[in-house]
Amino acid sequence: MKTTILFLLLVTSISTRANDEKYFDQMGKQIQAVYTAKSIEEYQQAINALDRIGNAEKTKWEPYYYSAFGNIMIATNLAEGSKKDSYLDLALTSITKGKELAPSESELVALEGFVHMIRLTVDPATRGQQYSGLAMQTFGKALGMNPNNPRAMSLMAQMQLGTARFFNQLPTEACETARKAATIFESATESENSLAPRWGKEMNLEVVKSCK
Amino acid sequence: MRLLSLFLVLTFLGTAVQAQTRISGLVQDEKGEPIPGANVMIKDSYDGTSSGVNGKFSFLSDELGSQILLVTFVGYKPATQTLELSGVEITIQVALKEEINQLDGVVISAGAFTAGEENRRTILKPIDIATTAGATADIAGALNTLPGTQKVGESGRLFVRGGDGSETRTFIDGMVVLDAYSPSAPNTPSRGRFLPFMFKGTSFSTGGYSAEYGQALSSALVLNSKDIAEMNQTDIGILSVGADVAHTQVWNRASVTGKVQYTNIQPYFELVDQEVDWKAPPVSLESSAAYRQKIGKDGLFKFFGNFNNTSFSMYNYSILDPSIKIQYDLDNTYGYGNATFQQSLSSTWSMRTGLSYSFNRNDVAFDELPLGETESGIHAKAVLENSVTDQLELRFGGEIIHRDYSATRYNESTNATESLSFSEPLAVAFAEAEFYASNHFVAKLGGRFENNHLNKQASVDPRISLAYKPGKVGQFSLAYGTFRQSSQNQYTRINNQLQEEKADHLILNYQILKDRKTFRIETYYKKYDQLVKYKDGNPFQLTNDGFGDAKGIELFWRDNETIRNVDYWVSYSYLDTKRNYLNFPYSAVPSFASAHNFSFVYKHFLTAMKTQLGFTYSYSSGRTYFNPNKSMDEFNTDKTASYQDLSVNIAYLPKNNLILYLSCTNLLGRDNIFGYQYSAVPDTQGYYPSQPIRHAAPRFIFLGVFITLSKNKSVNQLPNL
Repeated sequence: MKTTILFLLLVTSISTRANDEKYFDQMGKQIQAVYTAKSIEEYQQAINALDRIGNAEKTKWEPYYYSAFGNIMIATNLAEGSKKDSYLDLALTSITKGKELAPSESELVALEGFVHMIRLTVDPATRGQQYSGLAMQTFGKALGMNPNNPRAMSLMAQMQLGTARFFNQLPTEACETARKAATIFESATESENSLAPRWGKEMNLEVVKSCK
Repeated sequence: MRLLSLFLVLTFLGTAVQAQTRISGLVQDEKGEPIPGANVMIKDSYDGTSSGVNGKFSFLSDELGSQILLVTFVGYKPATQTLELSGVEITIQVALKEEINQLDGVVISAGAFTAGEENRRTILKPIDIATTAGATADIAGALNTLPGTQKVGESGRLFVRGGDGSETRTFIDGMVVLDAYSPSAPNTPSRGRFLPFMFKGTSFSTGGYSAEYGQALSSALVLNSKDIAEMNQTDIGILSVGADVAHTQVWNRASVTGKVQYTNIQPYFELVDQEVDWKAPPVSLESSAAYRQKIGKDGLFKFFGNFNNTSFSMYNYSILDPSIKIQYDLDNTYGYGNATFQQSLSSTWSMRTGLSYSFNRNDVAFDELPLGETESGIHAKAVLENSVTDQLELRFGGEIIHRDYSATRYNESTNATESLSFSEPLAVAFAEAEFYASNHFVAKLGGRFENNHLNKQASVDPRISLAYKPGKVGQFSLAYGTFRQSSQNQYTRINNQLQEEKADHLILNYQILKDRKTFRIETYYKKYDQLVKYKDGNPFQLTNDGFGDAKGIELFWRDNETIRNVDYWVSYSYLDTKRNYLNFPYSAVPSFASAHNFSFVYKHFLTAMKTQLGFTYSYSSGRTYFNPNKSMDEFNTDKTASYQDLSVNIAYLPKNNLILYLSCTNLLGRDNIFGYQYSAVPDTQGYYPSQPIRHAAPRFIFLGVFITLSKNKSVNQLPNL
């Protein structure tokens, strides 16, 4: 009897591990695909695959995170404002789903702020007021959840840089934030979660460079 | 142990020999066009792929048995199909149905100008209202640059398509607002009581509006107030004509905003000569408060209250003998309160309820002879909405509008106070169905039932609108409806059995909306009936025998794409209208109507100078007036010279939270004459002398400094201006 139970336990644990392995394996591939996509088609394929994983897994936030990230990347590559908006709408839907699964995940909140930031670029003259406030507030919220989230910090630095440029001011505050983000990017040790977001270091370097 | 390893071997072997099924096929839309990029998957598994450029797909699945194939693509309804997976290749075709999309799909646009921050289909956003030169941040002022409106410079109200200013009704969050304009001296423009920054969206309809809105003959101005505020902030404004301070406090699920404004125009009038001889120029104190609270999962409660007191004293001069001056004093007290609650009841049902109260009291004195006028009104409303399917939307509701009016006058000869009053309760029911046949065709059918307990009249008015979008950009829209409104208070108080005035609208519109460019052309026919008419010229014998019509064509073009940092719009309206009402001897053009109206609004943001520059040029062709020195056969045949105005404004943002604002109306100081006022009695030679009605001053210069204090330094008051 005891052997049977042990045996069953063993089998179950093997199968869950197999599932996890499949999850990490597939996610690893698709995250790589999102990071390296060069066309809207490539982004779309990766997003579709991530959505399939998200649908199948039901409890994991990462697929939604990267699906949203992919949609934001498409939006930044498009010229037409209304199209940008529709991809940002998709990104926001995924982020909302992710937040339902992981309400205190700082990375999801930072990504939400990123959506607001890109929305602003569609029509800065009329959206500036609303979305600059919203983006800053959301980055602040993400940093409240994790003060060492380098992406939230770096995106905030970009907003500060934009505001400083608009008002012809010295970007002292922006540079300070970007430099702090750079230190966190540098010192980042391998996260426990191998699927944790890693992007943003290069983008942050651009901000730091513009400070010199 | 041996048993265990054997088992494991078997398990892995099992996996290895497990049959894989190839699933291939084609994803198309309803017309058979291939859909590339669709997500094709076996539900709840990792297996799947994206359809290729030609809509084709092919993938392997490890799943076995009965499985659900799910195909999704943006803008289409997800399709599912049950498959039996057994290792034998399956080939299928999937047809996706278009989702009814209210963003890119067809919308009813006849007569409607909608504006909101979120909606991309907007024509005029709140910030556009604030930054339109010449509008001086007045909602009606900015809307006056849109087609369908006629400039009536001495009034400041919205005159739409041959209708007078009283034919436009204002609603806040669907609730009636009585007396929506601040009081002003006779023949000087009044301003709307409500500031544009309070609203997230404005919908201005120049005809053919929904059955939900009644008691408006010509036009409905529907203002939607902002939702919960996002951050704490304090706004301070120092103006050349006063000062204001506002504070917003935000909690987790609620926010409150309070504002106090003091306006005193006296110092300004001392600097700039005025046409009007003021004894005491207008002084007003205004306070408003807005409270928002989320309730439950998606319920939202909103309260808005506004209180205002304005007073002034001026001298009018007799036209016949300018040495005789008559003192005119006015003290106005106004209060408005509005509470609404909305909530979804289920996934398909939702409800909106609201209650509003308006109070307006004018205490006037003519040479110290008191005249008083009080109007108050309660509006209660409940609306249920049901999304039967994604193609059919039903809306129905009931309202009660109860108005009380009284006017008092001191009669010198009898030494007694006389009064005239009435009380008008209206019970209303309305229903509307909106049907989307596809993303190319939508029909809205509705009706409005009103029972007026004062004149004991019941009525049913149909409202129909259709829209058809043949291709990707342009769309046609058609609207028809009957609209009615109780006669104005000064007539109802004399004869409370007057019927409601009536108008039929027929509107045809074509519109092209691109991202940042808009073109529209609209033509209409409007027929007035049951207008108030003096019997045999006697203003105390009122009938409903008046009638009239209006027809016209209007053009609008807006572009904020072609030139960087430049936003401009052009509108033109042609109006042909005549009516036979009040004292008219026969059908004639009313004096508020002008045949041609043209506006050009230009805004330029100079990034390097952190400055927004704007100007507005307006033109109206001459307006008719009656010269009593002529015979009655020439009623309203004289015309004033055209009206022209060039207004400019400059907003300068030296710091994130500081704005300096300067505006000037009628920069060139053109002497615009709106009409002529004739003496009621002739002089000794039997001649009626006249005096022109003109601007109170050629120009109005306004200077303001706006400071915002908040934790977030990137916030300023730009949208409030």
